[in-house]
Amino acid sequence: MFYQPKDIQEALGLKAQLKERGTFIAGGTDIVVLMNHGKAAPENFIDLTHVPELRAIHRYNGTLELAGNVTHAQCGKLPIRCLALASLSVGGPGIRELGTIAGNLATASPAGDGSTALLALDAEVELTSVRGARRLPLDKFFLGYRKTALAPDEMITKIFLPTNYQSDWAKNGKRGAMNISVVAVAVAITPMKQVRIALASVAATPIRCYGTEKYLEQNGLSAGTIQQAAELVRGEIRPITDHRASADYKVHVSGVMVRRLLENLVKE
Amino acid sequence: MKKPAKAKSTDGLWPLRFTLNGKKVSAKVRPTQTLLDFLRIEMGLTGTKGACLEGECGSCYVLVDGKPMNSCLMLAPQVQDRKVMTIEGFAHNQKLDVIQQKFVECGAVQCGYCTPGLIVAAKALLTENPHPTREEFLVGIEGNICRCTGYNQILRACELAADEMGLKKKK
Repeated sequence: MFYQPKDIQEALGLKAQLKERGTFIAGGTDIVVLMNHGKAAPENFIDLTHVPELRAIHRYNGTLELAGNVTHAQCGKLPIRCLALASLSVGGPGIRELGTIAGNLATASPAGDGSTALLALDAEVELTSVRGARRLPLDKFFLGYRKTALAPDEMITKIFLPTNYQSDWAKNGKRGAMNISVVAVAVAITPMKQVRIALASVAATPIRCYGTEKYLEQNGLSAGTIQQAAELVRGEIRPITDHRASADYKVHVSGVMVRRLLENLVKE
Repeated sequence: MKKPAKAKSTDGLWPLRFTLNGKKVSAKVRPTQTLLDFLRIEMGLTGTKGACLEGECGSCYVLVDGKPMNSCLMLAPQVQDRKVMTIEGFAHNQKLDVIQQKFVECGAVQCGYCTPGLIVAAKALLTENPHPTREEFLVGIEGNICRCTGYNQILRACELAADEMGLKKKK
């Protein structure tokens, strides 16, 4: 069965009824690929593309609030450097018009570009069901390989992020376009000068390097501590060897990318 | 709380209404059919191509409300009440669109399989940004794979189309 709700309440009512038997679809850039390859055949679809409130972007008191269906193309135009660059590095123009930020989070791919940028920005997600809404820091949302904290009746309705972080993004891939990362890195600096470091494709989920962040908080940002931070990052990540690159290469390049991004941020 | 909506029909088919190349269309569709298959099989519009079926190649690009989208990754009911334009909607009164004309003149078409997708991508780019730099052109067509031309003639065609469209506007 195919359902096309017109507002969030209607969508949540359907999801509460269908639970695991109801699949949300927005951009379709993950689920339809699986269907095309015969790897998925959802029983019921709840199509979110005709829910206008899920496309809203609001800005207030230093917070940016993105509704779930804000697309990569929309994120690419935001004045948040790491999120904009991460979003523009996703697929091509067609994929960026289709794919949504909540979809990126819900798929919970280890290589999720938007997810990694949001992780560095201390983003929070709002998960809503007919039972009510709850707010969760993003690092509590990713539970494991493609596993999230979403309950069977919940939807990602909003994402909150600060507008006053300095940030940057780098992606290492096998080519210049249509890239899924070998390693991607998002770094951010809070107004209190605390450093945030998040990486994609080096663990079962996008991850933060809390040990390295703590070291930098205690020792400050200088040429020497940045060099040491690169080494610490290499120790904190657990990449696997796959068809994109060897684990050794990913460990090495992660350190290089973190060092370069931090050096640039310090220069600014 | 409102009562959850029922599906609109009991036969499992979706009563689709949308605008296709400027004409209003109503059809009953299998809701899991991709927009690509619906256009090609039910509407007979075979200009839109399918190749990778995973969003990597761009041969299935169509414009939905003016934005380029991979029709192989959309389910047909998702274009309900939207405006869809396929490559068949580009020519008017037997006259090619400027972008199509420049593709012909520049030899930007070899086997032709990627051409509809590339022309759709170029149209979307030039509508949003009438004077793209070379770099912006490259980003505009980064989602489209061509295995024949090496892209040089395609870029040339896009640039000449942008020039001509700019001249037309000035007149």
